[in-house]
Amino acid sequence: MTGSPKDIETSGLAAADIDAAVEWLVRLQGQAVSEQDWLAFDAWLTASPVHAQAYDAALAFDQRLELDVRTHGENQEAPADHLGATIVPFRRPTRRVWLWSTGGALAAAAVAGAIAWSSGSLLGTHETTYVTGVGERRTIALEDGSRVELNAASRMTVRFERGARRVKLDDAQAFFDVAKDARRPFLIQAGDTGVRVVGTQFDVRHRDGQVAVAVQRGVVEVRPKQASGKTPFRLTAGQGIAHVEGQADDAQVSTVAVEDVTGWRQGRLVYRDRPLSEIAGDLNRLFPRPVKLADEQAANMRLSGVLIVDGQDAMVDRLSNLLPVRTTTTDDAIVIRAR
Amino acid sequence: MMRLYGEKRTSLVRAFAARMRSLSEAEDLIQDLFLKVQALGDIEVEGDGSALLFRMANNLMLDRLRSQTRSSARDEGWRSLQGVSLGDEQVADTPSAEAIVDGRQRYDLMLTTLDTLPPRVARAFTLHKLDGLSHAETAAAMGISRSSVEKHVSAALKALMAKLA
Repeated sequence: MTGSPKDIETSGLAAADIDAAVEWLVRLQGQAVSEQDWLAFDAWLTASPVHAQAYDAALAFDQRLELDVRTHGENQEAPADHLGATIVPFRRPTRRVWLWSTGGALAAAAVAGAIAWSSGSLLGTHETTYVTGVGERRTIALEDGSRVELNAASRMTVRFERGARRVKLDDAQAFFDVAKDARRPFLIQAGDTGVRVVGTQFDVRHRDGQVAVAVQRGVVEVRPKQASGKTPFRLTAGQGIAHVEGQADDAQVSTVAVEDVTGWRQGRLVYRDRPLSEIAGDLNRLFPRPVKLADEQAANMRLSGVLIVDGQDAMVDRLSNLLPVRTTTTDDAIVIRAR
Repeated sequence: MMRLYGEKRTSLVRAFAARMRSLSEAEDLIQDLFLKVQALGDIEVEGDGSALLFRMANNLMLDRLRSQTRSSARDEGWRSLQGVSLGDEQVADTPSAEAIVDGRQRYDLMLTTLDTLPPRVARAFTLHKLDGLSHAETAAAMGISRSSVEKHVSAALKALMAKLA
């Protein structure tokens, strides 16, 4: 077995087929491949086995060419007698690892599927909606270089415009690592609250009519009840703000433990004096079997503590040790009531 | 959807092999798509299911491309150059000498062939393939449209293929 790539078989192919194949290949290598391109490509490819052969030949040729460029293109200044193995660095065998799939899978992740879809518009802007299912967490790399970690059971729509990057958070929690782009501010709409940033890291939670923002790095402008026209709050690292949708003057900047707020990214839910109703809500975004609160008293119990996200039964079990509650588990629900 | 996936699988792999510059990564991606399609279950698809498959695969790919470091492509390059692999496992750490010499000769022949092409064709190809600019960046650098870039790059690739394949 030698290391030289197999010769690429083009002898039996008509020049016209190869030309068409090359044109398809180059078109598909562009960034602006549309559905129409794909449908047309699929139609061309399946029209004749010769097309598939020609395309495979073009693909193999192109990949060998890119490999040659990568291997030799950057060593042009190297003296000619260094052509041998000396220009090849020693490398240990490595396995390919996809970064986004290593972000800590949740127990229930396998049952849910994330869906994203895009729609184009004539203005050259496009909108993509990302949805995570119950128990599913997902890291999304946006085209501007920003990264968004979307918590379970969340829905987010992203739209890139010429002068702005727009994100709409419906019922969602997400951690943003925004790439700097002073000419295109990053604008988030969470209910009635607007968040404006240039480049920074922060968490936005929009759940049950409440919006909370916590900043890890940089500066974020938050405008609760946007329509009121008040000057925005400026949050810096370590600061947060919470607001109940619809209320006019409830928002106040406070110091927050950002690593607690963003604990969900590492599979930790950190609560400081939070009602059980909120915790039950979080659990219901992680597991398909609903957690129900049987009475008002249970719903209003408050908890300070850390819940490690593992199995639902184990988490509920720990809850019942932290609070004076009794739990009843059936196949289709877990009921928590005050003891 | 599962049936459609079965029908479109090879087309998808081919299309994304072009985009991702790697057949194995495209295979990997379309395998991931399988999981997504499976998770969708028995759903009614409005309009063309084939287009939905493409969109899903495209989104998966964009996620990957952005989170992937450039170095992994390079590693892949070195490994394919070495070409001595067993499944996923490398079994040799030194590349064969012929592989390097063959590649070097092809690379030099490519450069000489490029010199014989119309200057704009050669320039578009050089910017895109050798300097690694995207089609859009190449278009901006040359002050021409993206479709002109596609035409030039295609023309260069055809000429090179005729000479080198």
